[in-house]
Amino acid sequence: MPSSSDVEVGAVASAPRVPAAAAAGPTPAKVRWWANNPFGGKVLYLAPAGVFLVLFVLWPAVYTLFLSFFDWNMVSPKMTFVGFDNYVTVLSDPITYKVLGNTAIYIVVLLAFNVVVPYILAFVVTFLIDRFQGFLKSAMFLPSFISMVVGAIIYNWLLNPTAGPVAQVLAVVGIQIPNWSQTEVLCILVICYVTAWKVLGYNFITLFASMSGLSKDVIENARLEGIPTWRMFRDIVLPMSRGTGMYVLVMTIVTGLQYVYTPIKVMTQGGPNYGSSNLIYQAYHEAFVVYRTGVSASLSVLTLILFIGLLALAFRALALTERGRS
Amino acid sequence: MNLYPAKASRSWTVVALIIAVIWLFPILFALGTSFRPLQDVFANVVNFIPIPPTLENYAKLAGRLDLPRVIANTFSIAATVTLLKLLTAFLAAYAFTYFEFRGRNKIYFVFLATIFVPFTVTMIPNYLLIARIGLGDNILGVILTQVADASGILLMVAAMREIPYSLIESAKLDDVSDRRIMLDMVLPLVRPQLTATGIWFFVNSWNEFVWPSLILRSEQSYTLPLALQMFVSAEGGTDFAVAMAVSVVTMLIPVVLYLTFQKYIIGTFTGAGIK
Repeated sequence: MPSSSDVEVGAVASAPRVPAAAAAGPTPAKVRWWANNPFGGKVLYLAPAGVFLVLFVLWPAVYTLFLSFFDWNMVSPKMTFVGFDNYVTVLSDPITYKVLGNTAIYIVVLLAFNVVVPYILAFVVTFLIDRFQGFLKSAMFLPSFISMVVGAIIYNWLLNPTAGPVAQVLAVVGIQIPNWSQTEVLCILVICYVTAWKVLGYNFITLFASMSGLSKDVIENARLEGIPTWRMFRDIVLPMSRGTGMYVLVMTIVTGLQYVYTPIKVMTQGGPNYGSSNLIYQAYHEAFVVYRTGVSASLSVLTLILFIGLLALAFRALALTERGRS
Repeated sequence: MNLYPAKASRSWTVVALIIAVIWLFPILFALGTSFRPLQDVFANVVNFIPIPPTLENYAKLAGRLDLPRVIANTFSIAATVTLLKLLTAFLAAYAFTYFEFRGRNKIYFVFLATIFVPFTVTMIPNYLLIARIGLGDNILGVILTQVADASGILLMVAAMREIPYSLIESAKLDDVSDRRIMLDMVLPLVRPQLTATGIWFFVNSWNEFVWPSLILRSEQSYTLPLALQMFVSAEGGTDFAVAMAVSVVTMLIPVVLYLTFQKYIIGTFTGAGIK
């Protein structure tokens, strides 16, 4: 840079005008072929990410919608247009309602394991204890770096109802653990626990960071007034950290149902009698086990609609609490 | 910070430490069991401390599986995916943070919205596409779809927003080219977050199961999480100690990366969360 331009910059910074910036130095306006579009050369920065997202997310989503109107088995050259028949098939199948019920149970249990528990734990570690914070953060976050298949296999053995270590220790005190992989609802609880083992730590450190950043004065004042711990949590920390809380809640709903796919596949394969299947696993099952491409596609479209609905609901709830507080 | 009397604090400390031990236990259990002879494992499942330790499970594993090949597959996929994702995310985040252009917010919204699309919505078309271009049972077919992930853009935008904008603005007024601003100013400043994001991408790709399990069919092209499935049966199975050895091999690199870089990693993830 020529030293004279420093003076120019000072002047420009106080009164920022684009022509002044251009006057700061001789800029040969090189126009390249790729700059000749509405975004200018900027398109080159967005294109790499954009190409991948369009090719492997946006276009496939549209294509899935298209496939949901056809009867097809993914290999046959013959695709038959059937209109809304696949949706009728899905919505009149009692298995769909069982799977929807399971999906609701998954969402409730995942919210308890991956939002409520890390929220309380983050509160405890931030405000109620003053040692081991570093160790607790490291230990809780570590499983997030371990393969879900590894987690599912280890827990399959740890919780084996006859030969596993947990069953053998409990047998000493006369407790028999149920055959959870063959018991409805219980299998969902175990699968959610294994998922929480991997995911909880991420939510915990996110909430911990948010709570550590809260104003110490407010907390200190409340403490001097002798407010009990549970009210400190409910009335002060919870509302003050609700932005991060909302982020954790939304991500849990969106990613949770997908994360549980791996433990379902490894531990129960959707059984007993569809008892651990959810919308995600069922769509996989229809597509790659029984080869009903159109049915799987229509299930996926319904899943996407449900996700959008849940997100809208979550954001609406946030907007309502904001209004209620102002 | 300690709000309440020492006695309450002590009991909370104990509760938190117990939860942490429960969280670490499966990892220690797998590690210990992988070094125990199989007959001991079945004779006493509760004690997992390997005295004396044996390498027989690892030897069996090496005999049953082309381990170097499987590790090479897993590593090539994870490394390529990581580099491509970092490159695409960095460039896109730079444009979203520092350029003004028509429809910027709309495009940003569409990019980030892809994070919320469940994988079942894209799996059939992607499967058909990968098969049609002849990449079925090929690690390239696994790499391509994994690069399509906007979470890196979110993390890099968060990192770039922490850089004081006046710094970039004065460089722009000084007529420094975008390329130089990007490579000589922004890149060094976001290097910690870039490193952490890269490790996160690498580990996630290393652990990825769903998509590889649809694409990779032959043992030749297996990754570690897929190979792990070979040693599993419904009841835990007679190969249980070998399965623990594969588990240890699978988690070794991610855990070492985490323990080495945890300061960066925890800092980056807590920085990106909406406050």
